[in-house]
Amino acid sequence: MNIDLPALIVGAVLLAGLYATMSYGLALVYGVMKLVNLAHAGVMMWGAYAAFLCVARLGMSPFLAPVVIVPLFFVLGMLMQRYIVRRVMYAPPISSLLLLFGIWLIMQNIAYLVFSGDTRTITTPYTLMTFKLADISISVNRLVVFVVGLLALVGLQRFLGYTYMGKAIRATAQDGDASQLVGINTDRVMEVAFGISTALAALAGSLMALIFAFDPDFGRSHLLKGFCIVVLGGLESVVGVALGSLVLALAEALSILVVMPALQDFISFAILVIVLIVMPGGIMGLIGKLKPKGVFK
Amino acid sequence: MFVLRQSFRAITLITLFSLLVSLVTACGPAAPAAPSEIVLGAALPLTGGQAREGGYFKKGYEMAIKEINDAGGVMIKEYGKKIPIKLIIYDDKSDNTTSVQLYEKLVNEDKVHALLGGYGTPLISAHTIVPEKYQVPYLNGGGATGEIYQRGMKYVFGMLASIEKLSHTLMDWMALQQDAGKLKKPVKIAVVGENSSHGKEFRKGIQDKSNAAPDRFQVVMDEPFELNLKDADPLMQKLKAANADVFLADARIADYTTIHRRYTELGLYHLIVSYGPRGTEKAARDALGPAADYIISCNWWHMDIPTQAAKTFADKYQKAYNEPAEWFPALAYETARVMAKALEDAGTLDKTKIRDALAKMDMKNSLVVGGRVWFEANGQINNDYVMMQNLPGGKVALIYPKDVATSDAIVPIPKK
Repeated sequence: MNIDLPALIVGAVLLAGLYATMSYGLALVYGVMKLVNLAHAGVMMWGAYAAFLCVARLGMSPFLAPVVIVPLFFVLGMLMQRYIVRRVMYAPPISSLLLLFGIWLIMQNIAYLVFSGDTRTITTPYTLMTFKLADISISVNRLVVFVVGLLALVGLQRFLGYTYMGKAIRATAQDGDASQLVGINTDRVMEVAFGISTALAALAGSLMALIFAFDPDFGRSHLLKGFCIVVLGGLESVVGVALGSLVLALAEALSILVVMPALQDFISFAILVIVLIVMPGGIMGLIGKLKPKGVFK
Repeated sequence: MFVLRQSFRAITLITLFSLLVSLVTACGPAAPAAPSEIVLGAALPLTGGQAREGGYFKKGYEMAIKEINDAGGVMIKEYGKKIPIKLIIYDDKSDNTTSVQLYEKLVNEDKVHALLGGYGTPLISAHTIVPEKYQVPYLNGGGATGEIYQRGMKYVFGMLASIEKLSHTLMDWMALQQDAGKLKKPVKIAVVGENSSHGKEFRKGIQDKSNAAPDRFQVVMDEPFELNLKDADPLMQKLKAANADVFLADARIADYTTIHRRYTELGLYHLIVSYGPRGTEKAARDALGPAADYIISCNWWHMDIPTQAAKTFADKYQKAYNEPAEWFPALAYETARVMAKALEDAGTLDKTKIRDALAKMDMKNSLVVGGRVWFEANGQINNDYVMMQNLPGGKVALIYPKDVATSDAIVPIPKK
């Protein structure tokens, strides 16, 4: 069987952009609050439905939907952190885990009530549009999703590196107590970080809705993949997440050369286990051994 | 005077006794007290991942029971009268464990006389242990996988022909296309199926037929894929490399949409494309647009089947729910009607006798394909499938078998 290797690699790179967008938020919340945010899947699902509503009800282009979705979910995320998540911030980890799992289930059931279990898609005139680049078919949708993922990476990096709030987030991620001692309002920092994470999850959901069919259960398997990426990239690094996404997408795609496509998830979780055992710091941990370690650099 | 009075009393007693004897003789043995209602129960996925299909099944069940009750109920010979049906439906939330618990509740707390099935192979595989354990007759219209019926169960019956038969039907139809000179011989087939018993059975059916006729069919790719596929690109790259003439898949609506979108983006082309039972669904056609044109599907029912029973049901359903009838409510409706016939045939509410009536079932003029309902020894129906082809403009043509076909299939699929 002669697999078109360049096409396979291009497809994987484009998918990596999506993987990265859906995983940045997980890494951010874990970095700042040490929380495993299971509600991330619910937010991705609602992001997909929000894009669907923007297109179906408001007649917007799905590529413009993030203009509405990102600020809306940023505010919702901040409110969620302030009124719900903060209450379990300093409780044993199992409390926050169960709380966020509960929020995910509530989100899912509300979606079932509002939208039913029907499978939905977002279809536009350019949904199936492609162009050829060196004999490789490139989907317009996938390319846009990749570019948005890349912009999110650049934007997040610049925000964390060059703004006061970004630096405060990095400081809080390094040492919350020390940050408070130097006058950083860590409650506010956590609110903003959770808001950004929620906005990124919703953005990922709205982008995924351009490629995949979705229903209220959407996001479950992507969440697991997100955990793999975050562990692979290093639990607290945005650049690591981008690299982890690329490695995972390439590993999954190239795995079909040796195993059946049904084993793609097996590949993801095998990588997760191996990384946790062999290099628990992930890719960035490995790089960090070669140069001084930095959080969110 | 005393003698006369004694004689009169004796005559009165004899007369009363004679009257009583004649009354008892005329009525025969006394009928047992009839229950006020026959209780049927089902647990359906009304919320969760299968909510859409579960909702259709609820509509079908309720429509059939309403019609039966409007006609007075089911005639039960043992009681000499018609008895109305009480239908209990619970929501299993698309969860296997909940489904089993609810069927236990229906049997042990609600004391049902018989059970109607849920929807979907995983749920049905799980909950069918309950009717078998408590020996309660059970009939479903939503579980096709042969695996459900290969466990030697005596009380479990199903109204959907097996998935293996679905793939056999596809292959038989392709052989006809070869004989008609529309498809080359041998034809190279790529088959993919969701990684579930449903998908495995589909792929096995294709392989079996191919092995039996190597001069006609050659399987060049046979792959399972994960359910709720996240990215179809690697699978489609493999399909492209397989260089097959025909692409056959077994997938749920979401995966069908994801796969066929990527298929179209990559500009793939095959002489025949089929997603097994999927193809005509409005949601998928809306999502795929013209890319879904000419896809072949093989299903248990379609509203255009040219029989009076199918037409009557489709009209009634449209009137009742203001939506076109899909196969889900049609099969649910017929499942409830077949169970009612089994109750009537049994003439009693004895569960073993109702089960025996199901085993001997031979219902004519049914709305199922072929018009006849009967069950094989394993409890599963073995009627024909109906094959369809999507046409431009959202239209659908019935293409096989010949007695229900509304037009010839367009083979090979036109290149877009």
